[in-house]
Amino acid sequence: MSASFVEFHDLRKSFGAVEVLHGIELAVQQHAFVVLVGPSGCGKSTLLRMIAGLESITSGFISIGGRVVNRIPAKDRGIAMVFQSYALYPHMTVRENLAFSLEMAKIKKDVMKARIERAAGILHLEPLLERFPAQLSGGQRQRVAMGRALVREPELFLFDEPLSNLDAKLRVEMRVEIKALHQRLESTTIYVTHDQVEAMTMADLVVVMNDGRIEQSGPPLDLYDNPATMFVAGFLGSPAMNLIKGTVATDGSAPVLDVGDGLQLPLPAGIREKPGAEIVYGLRPEHVSIGPPGSGLPATITLVEAAGWETHLYADMGQHVARIVSAERLNVAHGDHVSLVPDVSCAHLFDATTGARLSID
Amino acid sequence: MSTTRHDLDVLTAGERASEFVKLLAPYILVIPGLAFVLGVLGYAVVGGVGLSLNETDMFLNQTFVGLKNYVSIFEDPRFQSSLWKTIVFVVSSIALGIVMSMVFALTLYHVGFGRRFFRGLSLVPYFVSGIAAAVMFRFIFTTSGGFVNYILESFGLPAPSWLGDPILAFIVAVLANCWFMVPFATLILLGGLQTIDRDIYEAAKLDGATGLKTFFRITLPLIKPMMGVSLIWVSYISFSTFDIILALTAGGPLRATELISVYMYEIAFLQLDFGQGSVLMVVLLTFNTVLSLVYLKFFVLNDRRYKTAT
Repeated sequence: MSASFVEFHDLRKSFGAVEVLHGIELAVQQHAFVVLVGPSGCGKSTLLRMIAGLESITSGFISIGGRVVNRIPAKDRGIAMVFQSYALYPHMTVRENLAFSLEMAKIKKDVMKARIERAAGILHLEPLLERFPAQLSGGQRQRVAMGRALVREPELFLFDEPLSNLDAKLRVEMRVEIKALHQRLESTTIYVTHDQVEAMTMADLVVVMNDGRIEQSGPPLDLYDNPATMFVAGFLGSPAMNLIKGTVATDGSAPVLDVGDGLQLPLPAGIREKPGAEIVYGLRPEHVSIGPPGSGLPATITLVEAAGWETHLYADMGQHVARIVSAERLNVAHGDHVSLVPDVSCAHLFDATTGARLSID
Repeated sequence: MSTTRHDLDVLTAGERASEFVKLLAPYILVIPGLAFVLGVLGYAVVGGVGLSLNETDMFLNQTFVGLKNYVSIFEDPRFQSSLWKTIVFVVSSIALGIVMSMVFALTLYHVGFGRRFFRGLSLVPYFVSGIAAAVMFRFIFTTSGGFVNYILESFGLPAPSWLGDPILAFIVAVLANCWFMVPFATLILLGGLQTIDRDIYEAAKLDGATGLKTFFRITLPLIKPMMGVSLIWVSYISFSTFDIILALTAGGPLRATELISVYMYEIAFLQLDFGQGSVLMVVLLTFNTVLSLVYLKFFVLNDRRYKTAT
């Protein structure tokens, strides 16, 4: 693996007196596909715009390819950006849109032509070159926006929620296309989204952001399997992880979690917390199953979503709502009384106050 | 209960009538406005053209004379001279007016503090009547005691007779005209600027476009339709301006600012020759219409964004 290509060091951003990014530290390897993901207002787009040079850097630094870019103008940073709105020039044809940055850089005509043809070939834009953006569909505009980034032959691609304006089917198609393009070109990419499915499916490295901080970064499945905080646990995965607050207790020799209403969840044997400690018990919906009557926790089904490839169930369990995902087509209906069996070996435990992950022996 | 499937499928006569009214509503609502505009404008235009083909005496008796009024007007050296002055006046007003409007619109677009205040303030000249504007300009440019000459003199510079010199008076007239018409043109252009997605500017910045390049390659083409509407406005106002000139110079000195509109007033209302006065109205109307069509064609209809399938 080569040295890190993009680095953020103690990066801060303030708008007036309000600090929105609080000391971001991150290293991105060359050729990596990094996804910044988080809820609205977490600072991910601001971070991307700071890399692009569209926002100033309050303190700290960003380096790209070993060069600190804080004071380098946007056009000289060797980056290209795809905007959520596509930001195509509406009065120019697709060809003129692609050519604009090359004209500004005073690239020779023959080189320009070759680059446009290459980008158009990669993105299947040849039949669209003489059209205006208004004559294109959403997906086509998206590809033109990518083409405009591609012709600049940047060292770093930036994507700002590029799929948000597309319908669900097209979004999946473009997701695959962007990922395939990255595998082919191997260009370092930083991609911002609020969609955790995009983050999970596209990234080599997922960076989960919350409230101007990085909550956790790592390969997608690492984050899914070992979320470092309750926020990451709840943010990644759909339906979201079950997070149930309770008090550690013992049932004979085995540790249990008292969640009220006389309900007790079995805890892993290696738990370090003493009885009386407040913790949050996290369990992914696919790690809850419906057992034979009386075998687990009593619950009442409130909603059944038959997606086809899997079934999502919602059940009232005392004062808590349990989410269950089953790969099978379960024969249950609204109002059914069922017995829920948690897979304790898959449980995640979090500190109820800090939200930090608790280790288990 | 005897509701059958058939009953639910078919609209009743009442429902059909209400659907029909819904369809017609937009047209019905437009009729009063359209009738008013056509009535007022149409009557004036048709009446004016009628007058231009007749000789009307002081008792308003009309005699049809065909194109006689046109021939005598076009042969009139005073008309020819006022036509040239009008063309120079309009061209310089458009050039100066559009540049000023663009500069003001860009300034108002970018101004960060007191945005609403400045935008409101910039419209004030438009609400001042032409006569009042002209009186104000007379005060500013009066030879002795005028503001401009006071400034010039305090720097030890010569104080010219602004409204007494034919060329200077013409320049002052153009300035006063611009002062009056620029605010509205600014408003139109500002509206145009605000329709441009800010992402497009950011994309242009990343693409390496400088400020001037961005203006000429992105901003200007994107506000082309509004530019067309502004041009229609400034040329219309400049061709038709009358009150400002009358109150500022009354066409003088030495007829230096006698534009067609001023000459028309003289012929129609001082010499009471309604026939020849109407000819001048037709001339102004023709200029305004042709120019407006040209602007519409090249600025509004030719907008590349709205081109349909190639």
